Amino acid sequence: MSTTDGRPVDAAETAPTTASYYGRPIVKPHVWRWYIPLYFWIGGTAGAAAVECVCARMRGAHALATVEKRAALLGVLVAPPLLIADLGVKLRFVNMLRVFKLTSPMSVGSWILTGFGGAIAASTLAELLGWERTSRALEVVAAGFGPPLAVYTAVLVADTATPAWHEAGDTLPFVFAASGMASAGAIGAAFAPPAESRSARQLMIGGAIALLAAGRAMDNQLGELLSEPYRIGKGGSLRRASATCALAGIVIGTLGRKNRTATRFAAACVAAAGMIERFAVTAAGTQSAEDPKYTVESQRARMQARD
Amino acid sequence: MSDLYDDTAAEREMATHPQAEARKGFFTDTTLCIGCKACEVACKEWNQLPADGYSFTGHSYDNTGELNGSTWRHVAFVEQLRNGATPQEDEQQVVRADAGRWLMESDVCKHCTHAACLDVCPTGALVRTEFGTVFVQQDVCNGCGYCVPACPFGVIDKREYDGHAGKCTLCYDRLQDGETPSCAKACPTESIQYGDLEELRTRADARLEKLQREGRYTDASLYLRDTDNGIGGAGAFFLLLDKPEVYGLPPDPFDTTRDLGRLWKHAAYAALALVGVTALAAVGTRR
Repeated sequence: MSTTDGRPVDAAETAPTTASYYGRPIVKPHVWRWYIPLYFWIGGTAGAAAVECVCARMRGAHALATVEKRAALLGVLVAPPLLIADLGVKLRFVNMLRVFKLTSPMSVGSWILTGFGGAIAASTLAELLGWERTSRALEVVAAGFGPPLAVYTAVLVADTATPAWHEAGDTLPFVFAASGMASAGAIGAAFAPPAESRSARQLMIGGAIALLAAGRAMDNQLGELLSEPYRIGKGGSLRRASATCALAGIVIGTLGRKNRTATRFAAACVAAAGMIERFAVTAAGTQSAEDPKYTVESQRARMQARD
Repeated sequence: MSDLYDDTAAEREMATHPQAEARKGFFTDTTLCIGCKACEVACKEWNQLPADGYSFTGHSYDNTGELNGSTWRHVAFVEQLRNGATPQEDEQQVVRADAGRWLMESDVCKHCTHAACLDVCPTGALVRTEFGTVFVQQDVCNGCGYCVPACPFGVIDKREYDGHAGKCTLCYDRLQDGETPSCAKACPTESIQYGDLEELRTRADARLEKLQREGRYTDASLYLRDTDNGIGGAGAFFLLLDKPEVYGLPPDPFDTTRDLGRLWKHAAYAALALVGVTALAAVGTRR
């Protein structure tokens, strides 16, 4: 937990027992089903994959570039059905593009996803038609939308009254970016020919290390009280599972870098770490909304710091 | 982005409204509430909302539990014994004879000046009306559910039965005909008062001053009456006798949009880091 001026607040400063109304939640937990955290991972991976695609292309690693491009395409094909499935009125998915609203990260994100998806799809079509220069230009366009696609979902969840999300706003984008990078690297490491996959493996391992580091930074930003939902319950279990997968991926990916099977196993571990982290964040958000102490104590500490 | 935040304020939104009227609202004086739940029922009846099932919470006389997509008024019941304990905590001692006091509060959507639900709504389904209230257009809402965790009061919710988000409309249909919202109309003790927000604020100030002068409710305070809080003041504000959290209300509510600029700034750093690390991994490799 931190105050408005960014000063971390010790949990001991806040009242030992929290008054509440029969322990009922004050803010409502999100109502998204598993499709949404899965989309967070798929969208983030696709966004990072488009960036890796262009980086590989510039180095002449065309096989790796193609693998990343296919991953991005697959991502934008899977993402809309996941998002639509979670809507209360599915046919009104088109209303997502009814307005462009800067105060709504979901509106901004819908347009980012549309731009990204359009660019990847058009680039793939141009590739099939043999228009190489058009295809590569569109890859660059997709790579422009890629990083925003990878991080906007962090802004989306932080832009709520959910304590474990909102108060993690400065660090959560780094967790999401690292998850995307690690997963995109893992895809390249697993599927690109060994002659070209070295940079992808480095990205995979670098991303996994970044994921662990960003997680620690997030815990520090949240402080003792608000990092609790990431340590206990379902959020905590998922968080530990993600860290275990990331560590396994880092060790196996480094030691077994000459071995194709070991590399692929490491890639599966890292991709799993990236995905599970999204579910951990989602679960921790729910936990922090369900127990009123997180809402009350963080707000009381903020009021105290202001006075 | 701070400009964006200002632009979402009710006053600005109403300033550009073609048919803006005086901002309307509720003043709920909890010292007058008798817990009859007439407001809950009148709201259900007028707005044709279904019941919430037939379960019992065990929380005093409160079997409604919370505000949600189909419950737009909720009466909270808090029994406080004179020794400071709640009846649940005091079960062994059975000091019911030592009756303390009842806190009863009819909760409702706050119709915030800075409304997080309205800000985050991606479809524009949530709008500011000519009365300065926050309204969900049922024919636009696609049930994305974003407004649910955004609301600092846990008011708006997604309904299972039609997939839309739902919350208090301040009886938009009745207001258009110059009528009083059904809850205020049904309230037998004038605990729920409806009117022009400015007038309600004046009335609330006078009421608070009177209660404190008489010395009976020295702990009374006005919740969300002023504009110097995280939501820029509410269209529905309250006279409370205890801390807000005792009634299930947040002590320092905020519109999350206040921090949106900072959130995007850090997201931009993260996006740049993503590009940097990916490029570095590529450059640092011969293949």
